[in-house]
Amino acid sequence: MSPAPYRVHRLIQDLNRDPRLVVTFESEPETVFAQYGITDAERLLLREGTPRALMELGVHPNLQMKFLRIRRAAGVGGGPSPLASYLRDLAQGK
Amino acid sequence: MSHVVFEPEKCPDKAARVWAGMREIARRIHSLDPDLLIIATNDHLNNFTLALQAPFIVGVADEYIPLGDMGIPKTPFPGSREFADGFVRFAATAGFDVARAEEIAPDHGFAFPNLVVNPGGRVPVLPFYINVANDIPPTPARVWALGGVLRDFITRERVERVVVLGAGGLSHWLCEPEQGRVNEAFDRMVIGKIVSGRGRELAGLTSEEIRRDAGRSGLEVMHWIFAAATVPHARGEEIFYEPMPEWITGMGGIALTP
Repeated sequence: MSPAPYRVHRLIQDLNRDPRLVVTFESEPETVFAQYGITDAERLLLREGTPRALMELGVHPNLQMKFLRIRRAAGVGGGPSPLASYLRDLAQGK
Repeated sequence: MSHVVFEPEKCPDKAARVWAGMREIARRIHSLDPDLLIIATNDHLNNFTLALQAPFIVGVADEYIPLGDMGIPKTPFPGSREFADGFVRFAATAGFDVARAEEIAPDHGFAFPNLVVNPGGRVPVLPFYINVANDIPPTPARVWALGGVLRDFITRERVERVVVLGAGGLSHWLCEPEQGRVNEAFDRMVIGKIVSGRGRELAGLTSEEIRRDAGRSGLEVMHWIFAAATVPHARGEEIFYEPMPEWITGMGGIALTP
């Protein structure tokens, strides 16, 4: 599996850092894709946005996680922290 | 030790043993009453992205505020500028040009283990980043050598009581086709070599061999190798190990005393 081109990684890195870009991406994805020079084949996989598609595109694992989270957050919310019960233990000094 | 945990519901008994092991490591660190805690870990492309890929970065700030990923509280904790800068200068005379970082919002790779072993941020910390997320990671040999440089700095130049925590996962294939696989044999090999005082043998691995046997994310064992190199002949003990396909990783923790 070859790594994705840097333009794909740059797009996801910027989405991870810039909430305004996320808003634009949600409403005008093609505009954002064009700004980052994302090709038609890459757009197809990013639009699909599944773990399989991101792996096929060669997205860095850490950036796959971020892209999946961003898409989840745009839909039904980010969900509870997987650390929740442990953080409660620590907060209570257990 | 591993630097994150996941929901206990899928495997409550294993999760309880892992959590108890992490708390035991916290108890031991507390009992040593350290002046400084160095946590060797990696960032997950939150602070250090693919835009500029430096192999080794230390935090030199006076204070850090966690990024807050995975719900980790954004509670500030103190850094250790004078020690960190001293180390960067020392390393430069020993063959390592280590990058300095003033602005880091530590993600879970640093913030979670720090929260577990250093509650309340009572002990000043030095975030020591080994950037295994880079497209071209540092080699285990360089990581081992840099751990030796840190040891030399502490023993020759400093008076503080220092604990070094290597915080990272064992085998895991996060977001790779093999996701869910755990290579227990590899994990136990790493633990066995380090606790028997043979950690140096791990410096002979290549990054490609670690990726093959432990997954791309398994490169986080470099943090264990780094910590072992600061006490190169020490023996120790396994505090916990659980192969956990439910969490898509091997989970472990060990203790070494010089």
